Amino acid sequence: MLRETEETETILKLTDYRVGFRTERGLAKAVDGVSLSLKRGSTLAIVGESGSGKTVLNRGVMGLLGANIIEGGSAEFQGKELVNESRQKFWGIKMAMIFQDPMTSLNPVMKVGKQVSEPLRLHQGMSKKAARERTIELFTLVGIPEPAQRFNEYPHQLSGGMRQRVMISIALAIDPDLLIADEPTTSLDVTVQKYILDLLVEIQSKSDMSMIIITHDLGVARGRADEIMVMYGGRVMEMAPAETLFQSMMHPYTEALFSSIPRLNDPKHTRLKPIEGFPPDIVDGPQGCKFAPRCKYAQDICLTAHPPETIDNGHAYSCFFPVGTDAGIQALESNEARGFTATGLKIKSKSEAI
Amino acid sequence: MPKAVKRFIGLLGLLTIVSMVTFGAMNFLGDPLFNILGPVAADVDNPESLAAIEEAKAQYHLDKSLPERWARWAWDFIRGDFGVQFSSSGQPPVSDLIKERLPRTLELMAVAQLIAVSLAIPWSVLAASRANRRTDKISTITAFAFVSIPSFAMAVILFYFFSVQLDFLPDTYTANDPFWGFSHDHRLIQLILPGFTLGLGSAAAYQRLLRTDMITTLQQDFILMAKSKGVSKRRVLYSHALRPSLFSLITLLAINIGFMIGGSLVVEQFFRIPGIGSAVVEATLREDFPVVLAVVMIVSAGFMVFNYLADYLYTLVDPRVRHEDSSKPRKITSMGM
Amino acid sequence: MNDEQATDMDNINTIDSETAEVQEETNDSNPLEVSEFADKKTLGFGFWLAAFWLVLISFLAVFSPMLPFKDSEKNYIAFEQKENPITGKMQERPIQPPYAPSSEHWLGTDQDARDILSRSIEGARISLAVGALTALFGMVVGGTLGMIAGYFKGVLDKVVGAIFLVVLSFPGLILAILIVALLDRSLLTISVTLGILGVAPIGRLARAQTLSFSEREFVMAAETLGSKKSRILIKELLPNVLIPMSTLAMLVIAVAIVGEGTLAFLGLSVQGSATWGKLILTGSGLNTLESSPWVAFVPMGFLFLTVASFNYLSDRIRDYFDVRDIFVTRD
Ligand SMILES: Nc1ncnc2c1ncn2[C@@H]1O[C@H](COP(=O)(O)OP(=O)(O)OP(=O)(O)O)[C@@H](O)[C@H]1O
Ligand SMILES: [Mg+2]
Repeated sequence: MLRETEETETILKLTDYRVGFRTERGLAKAVDGVSLSLKRGSTLAIVGESGSGKTVLNRGVMGLLGANIIEGGSAEFQGKELVNESRQKFWGIKMAMIFQDPMTSLNPVMKVGKQVSEPLRLHQGMSKKAARERTIELFTLVGIPEPAQRFNEYPHQLSGGMRQRVMISIALAIDPDLLIADEPTTSLDVTVQKYILDLLVEIQSKSDMSMIIITHDLGVARGRADEIMVMYGGRVMEMAPAETLFQSMMHPYTEALFSSIPRLNDPKHTRLKPIEGFPPDIVDGPQGCKFAPRCKYAQDICLTAHPPETIDNGHAYSCFFPVGTDAGIQALESNEARGFTATGLKIKSKSEAI
Repeated sequence: MPKAVKRFIGLLGLLTIVSMVTFGAMNFLGDPLFNILGPVAADVDNPESLAAIEEAKAQYHLDKSLPERWARWAWDFIRGDFGVQFSSSGQPPVSDLIKERLPRTLELMAVAQLIAVSLAIPWSVLAASRANRRTDKISTITAFAFVSIPSFAMAVILFYFFSVQLDFLPDTYTANDPFWGFSHDHRLIQLILPGFTLGLGSAAAYQRLLRTDMITTLQQDFILMAKSKGVSKRRVLYSHALRPSLFSLITLLAINIGFMIGGSLVVEQFFRIPGIGSAVVEATLREDFPVVLAVVMIVSAGFMVFNYLADYLYTLVDPRVRHEDSSKPRKITSMGM
Repeated sequence: MNDEQATDMDNINTIDSETAEVQEETNDSNPLEVSEFADKKTLGFGFWLAAFWLVLISFLAVFSPMLPFKDSEKNYIAFEQKENPITGKMQERPIQPPYAPSSEHWLGTDQDARDILSRSIEGARISLAVGALTALFGMVVGGTLGMIAGYFKGVLDKVVGAIFLVVLSFPGLILAILIVALLDRSLLTISVTLGILGVAPIGRLARAQTLSFSEREFVMAAETLGSKKSRILIKELLPNVLIPMSTLAMLVIAVAIVGEGTLAFLGLSVQGSATWGKLILTGSGLNTLESSPWVAFVPMGFLFLTVASFNYLSDRIRDYFDVRDIFVTRD
């Protein structure tokens, strides 16, 4: 959680950051102009449908996408430009990543102890023995029982939760300034999920590192993140401090995304209800607002122009007809009145919708 | 474990059938008596010859029925008595020949296998780390060319370039020279040309398999994970990606030993190495049945044992199968001689 | 990088992540990326090149008697005018063969002044015949056994499987020399012998394919409609088994051509005729290699191109039709 007292330093600053994949059909713009800034010790949650570019954004920042991409805009990490620069010097030292599936992201034929002690030996110059001791210490810290024995086991001998703890130990061994956790708990069952997330947050607040949590799960974003960013089609639709966003969401996409949690006191970890329609084609997408084809609010202007970003007291959103504003209410009403939107999407009027 | 035992019994059964087929074929298609006695065998009018024939028939049980003769042979074989060499003067035991020649063939195959593996691994790693780029494409074509060069052609090519043209590798093998050493008078050096002849094609076959498996491995998340830990590119390739990519290769290594036996026949013939391969060729041409039978049995047994081991060998590199029965290596259909 | 793409996004450069050589090395896909964007499925230029060579060499082999090639058995001794050291007169004297490639003999001659090109084409006749007969034997015998085993299952399957297993556990080359040494060295014997080696792999493939296809709807449908079993095997199953089987058969041809060469090196190849293996063998003595390497290398080139073409065709077709088994051929 953000510490109010210290003067906060910006760890990561993206300005109009872009990542494109070269494909046969053309350039796949998986991340299409994302701007954000992340302060030391704070947590950002990135939420969005599958395919919205969350993973690409983060792997792009980490420099883990290989050579077949085109990167643009700017990404500064602790004041140093990353775009088109090698990020190898940060790997295992200043940046760390926790992957979604702990089974596939641990080497199946290497003892887990070795996998954790590897960065210690490579980057912190520890002896084999010291690295082993530190690893066992870390195992204890993340709550792995019988750590000394686990050191010599292989990933397949551990349960999913244990594996994810091993992953976290790796991140801790690195002791990074920036930790990116890409859906760290989706493959685990609910009780384990909570434990792992709390562990992450606890460690993060102790060690003053910044964290990005990518998630599908609203329960994760809420209560654990300082800020929430909503992504769609490679773009930021809306970004706001967590509670602000929950209380007054401005973007129709956010609204649609969140429509499955009608009340705040719903049980946690409510799954997102899928939104009707399909995510946009990132090679040859819509001209104007990317969400327009699926948006109940869509008007003619949404088809031709990109909505500019409105920033209101730390709450940023890009929409011509924001939810709850006069323009938005009018747009929705006129669409409901004629039964379809400017893109031809059929919608039911409010009364029928119940 | 019972599964392994079952397979082992099956293997013995197979060997039995192989020996029966070989034994039967040689007795149906050839004339053992002629091979023991030479022209005398046909000279039935001469009482002296007839006596010799009777004596030979009794000595080698040729007057008994085929199944009985096979059973006698098998019983002797199990006890390590492989019979005598029909076609050599004095008819020394076959086991002498095997003892003398088998080690040479094994040496040749070990050298070849070593060459093949130590070429294939860095070659595959290099190609996979640059998959579909120029280096990889060139190496794929090279590998393809190499697997299409039969060992006899390879023998001629290497002999021509390294022995005839450059004159820096020995092409003569002297069985009495010491093995270990680095001059032309050591068999280790004398085995380089024959070893490459056998090993280059195998290296290419290994490369084709290992490269593909490596590319698959390199797409795994744990490779990204290793990179993000700041592990150097080299280390990622050799200590993270290589081992999990070795499963199919190990199967092929074992299978390929069988093919190498075939290849070694030609290589021994070409480079005049008096190994078991040249022994069986000579014996076949002279229809020296006990020798052929013994070699067929040894080679088939070796071939089967390695195929059998292949299924267990990869547990050495894959800790997963040591504990539970998870992933199996890919099915490899092998074909050749 | 593609210009069109570059303008798509402002302010972009290619990333030189990790390594500098990435840049110089073209922009093909990186192994660390998802391969779903891999090359489109095409047979490729190499495929057509290989196919062209095989068509050409088969054509030459079949029609060589009608084509204006030199006689492969004739000794084309060349003469030169030379002064007789005793009489001092100019005299026509034979030049010692082999002759290097020239306009007269495009690919040179052997020690007996026979034209290497003609002999290599003559060799193609025998070697290709061995290959074709071998594959035919393997396909007919292996394919039939395999399909029967796969379709009728049960005891039949067990028996056929056992036969395949036994054949596979013989060291192939030793089996071949044994049969050839004990029988005769005719074209047919050698082909059938080599064909036996192809029976088990082809048969196993046919069995597996039949097994998987016999559970598909169209076969089930035919069965419920009361079609005869033999009809189902031939009409429904055979067409589906044929493609994977023929890719394997191409490998069998390659193996057979190599096998013939191997037998030749062991002194056991087709009697009387010039095969590629025999031609290479005649050229591979130390003296011949030293003075006239073309004698060995020309037929070797023919053999290599043919074997590589069959291997490559098989590989490409398997890729194209997504046959997933790995075949490993080694001589
Ligand atoms: N290597 C690649 N080449 C081309 N396109 C890619 C590549 N990797 C990802 N994409 C595309 O980029 C888009 C964003 O994918 P990304 O994996 O970032 O989505 P995500 O938000 O992480 O989804 P999920 O929630 O399912 O993990 C998708 O449309 C995907 O198809
Ligand atoms: Mg993702």
